[in-house]
Amino acid sequence: MSLRIAPFLPELLRSLFKKPVTVKYPFEKEAVPKDFRGTVVFDPAKCIGCNICVNDCPAEAIDIIRVSETEKKFKMILHNDRCIHCAQCVDSCPTKTYHMDLEYETAAFSRWDLKIEYK
Amino acid sequence: MEYKVSLGPQHPALHEAVSLRMTLDGEVIRDADLKLGYSHRGIEKLAEERSYIQNIYLTERICGICSHSHTTCFTQGVEQLMELVPARRGLFIRTLIAELERVHSHLLWLGVAGQEAGFESFFMYTWRDREVVLDILEWISGNRVHYAMNIFGGVRRDIDELQRKKILDSLDLLKKRTDYYLNLAASEPTFVGRLAGVGKLSREDAIALCAVGPTLRASGIASDVRKDDPYAVYGEIPFEVATADSCDVLGRAVVRVKELISSYAMIEFLLKNLPEGPFKVKAPRKVKPNEVYSRYEAPRGENVHYIKSNGSDKPERLKVRAPTLANYPATIAMLKKGFIADIPLIFAAIDPCICCAERLVQLDDARRGDSRVLSFSQLRSMANERAKKIDFKKRKIAWPF
Amino acid sequence: MAILKPILYILVYPGLLFLMVYSTFCEWFDRKLYARMQNRIGPLHTGRAGILQPVADIIKLFAKEDIVPEQADKRMFSALPVFALAIVCTAALYLPVWHYSTAPSFNSFPGDLIVVVYLLSLPTLIFFLAGWHSTNYFSAIGGVRVLTMLFGYEIPLLLALLSPAVLAGSWRLVEIAVFYQNHPLLMLANVIGFVIAVICLQAKLERVPFDIPHAETEIVGGQFTEYSGKKLAFFRLLGDIEMVVGAGLIAAVFLGGFPGGLLPGLAWFIVKTLFIIFLLAALRAATSRIRIDQMISFSWRWLAPLAVLQLFIAIIIKGSAS
Repeated sequence: MSLRIAPFLPELLRSLFKKPVTVKYPFEKEAVPKDFRGTVVFDPAKCIGCNICVNDCPAEAIDIIRVSETEKKFKMILHNDRCIHCAQCVDSCPTKTYHMDLEYETAAFSRWDLKIEYK
Repeated sequence: MEYKVSLGPQHPALHEAVSLRMTLDGEVIRDADLKLGYSHRGIEKLAEERSYIQNIYLTERICGICSHSHTTCFTQGVEQLMELVPARRGLFIRTLIAELERVHSHLLWLGVAGQEAGFESFFMYTWRDREVVLDILEWISGNRVHYAMNIFGGVRRDIDELQRKKILDSLDLLKKRTDYYLNLAASEPTFVGRLAGVGKLSREDAIALCAVGPTLRASGIASDVRKDDPYAVYGEIPFEVATADSCDVLGRAVVRVKELISSYAMIEFLLKNLPEGPFKVKAPRKVKPNEVYSRYEAPRGENVHYIKSNGSDKPERLKVRAPTLANYPATIAMLKKGFIADIPLIFAAIDPCICCAERLVQLDDARRGDSRVLSFSQLRSMANERAKKIDFKKRKIAWPF
Repeated sequence: MAILKPILYILVYPGLLFLMVYSTFCEWFDRKLYARMQNRIGPLHTGRAGILQPVADIIKLFAKEDIVPEQADKRMFSALPVFALAIVCTAALYLPVWHYSTAPSFNSFPGDLIVVVYLLSLPTLIFFLAGWHSTNYFSAIGGVRVLTMLFGYEIPLLLALLSPAVLAGSWRLVEIAVFYQNHPLLMLANVIGFVIAVICLQAKLERVPFDIPHAETEIVGGQFTEYSGKKLAFFRLLGDIEMVVGAGLIAAVFLGGFPGGLLPGLAWFIVKTLFIIFLLAALRAATSRIRIDQMISFSWRWLAPLAVLQLFIAIIIKGSAS
């Protein structure tokens, strides 16, 4: 291939009259795919307290706590500041207690604000 | 007059912390040295305390750009230890993700090369089109950087018909753009002038200094783990190992663009021949005592994981050698023959991933082989003690000019 | 009344006030063009379509901490940015705007072309001194690169600017401009010179592909590495004003100046300088940074011979016309 003078120029000048590809993010938001891994959602009714998710979570972001002494009822505390959104809990759970929503704007001023409790 | 300049650990050309110690004579480099160890994450030690499933996600975080490479390398090794045959459809999808990752990594590299050479428009355009690949990966896996697709025995998510069609449509656009960039990069005089003849690494030196990946292939050696020691389904895919004979940075760019084009063909082949069936099989949690050495051709070169199991659900030892580490000796040899202006280009041409390659080993007595483990707070107090010893007020540095 | 015009000339138009406002506008225009060529948006939020972004940048720099290196020559280090800004603003006063005719004016005299070129090459020397007095390796390398580049582009630039002057038979910017207003076809004789002058102006402004002295991936900030806060703001403003003055000089010499008195002259000034800034932005977007040795060999292998050729063309046309 031989050298040419300013081979990039036509493309650059064409771009001048094209719409910029930049998405003005906080003002306009792009849709995420349906399989997106957002925030973990927990359904306390289905939980049997087997603790597989707690053992498999790579970030140790899940705590399962037994609520009552007599009944088999559990609550889950999700440390969303530690969560790495790998969805291993969704895969590991034998009763399909978990799923992930499409929420991706989870920033907060304090890491304690990110703690989510599902009862 | 010779003088010494340290590029880094904080420098605009370096995206991570590493120190390039240069002995310069005007604009010419007389000697070069490299100092590592500015970032250390203790990943290998951490891996010994995690179960195999947790370790998949830990190894994924060794590198942000070749995240799939490290998990695949680790997963393959553990599958061998488990004596597990992964699902065939799962292997196809695993290879597909690997090739998509190579595409996004090489497009990223093209942009970085443009940026290091001061060609900002090229950087902006390649990164704009890299978004297409990232979107594909997001469609398939749900994440843009850490795909988290691997599991022992296959992959975690299947590809449906709609996704398959979307990928094939996007590939046409990518092919067109890659051809355009190949033409552009090879015909823009200022860019070619910066890349051609810079960072020469002869065939003999490349072998002697154990270079890997595109750095090695640009010196005319057709060495590729995908061909030499096929893993996953690479044994069934027809492809040529891309090489170049110019032994310089331009050659490395050409090798990467050729690999992009062959990756597109591979992705098409994989999608058209995707077998039916399950995409994963069930894997045991515990692993028999054994050891394995797993190889993988990451976008940057050969990636190696050594895994030792002891019968529990945690590995006894995980050793990671990222491809960047293997390329450092060659980089120093290349740097010794250049100008200041070539430093960022030569260093960027190995596609350095500095954090991935950093490991900390502290030997108290090298002969006895005693070693000790330091916690983060201990490391910090050691650094503070060292800093206290330096008296900044009394320090006298003669300005040589 | 007679004293009022020079005072307005120095303080308002085309002096300090106009230069400050218009140079920030030009920076915005350049940045916006550069961004749109790269399919980006560019400055967006400060003011309408980000038009106040350069002003905001400068205000921000003025508010920042100002650090002087311990070993640096403090007086030189602080004085240099102010000197450089003053010199470039002085050069702007010689641009032939606001001239109703060729009548002699307080700032127009035979040979003012040479004075403007001289005043425009002084900042280069100041960049070198700034780099040298920073006591930083990157600054020193940058400073030396500034001087090395000066030897590359200065002579082609001067030769290129000379040929229209030779054709017009005058060294006075007003007279050159008036000559080409009367003979617009003769402008075509200087096309090679115009291209050379634009490329050399790009080198003088140290923009891609000639941003070698402060190539950030190689030597961090070059001669400005140690500069921060107000002093860096001065240097930035200096760069913008230098761009306006350089574009104005090329417009006055090659494109027939700014005829028509105050307001039409202003309109012509804006149109012609923006055209040249557009060329500069396109050149910046279309090329990659080159090495210092490539830059020197390019200017002596191509620019200087072509400038000499342009001079010959001008002399031949001049000879055949008379």
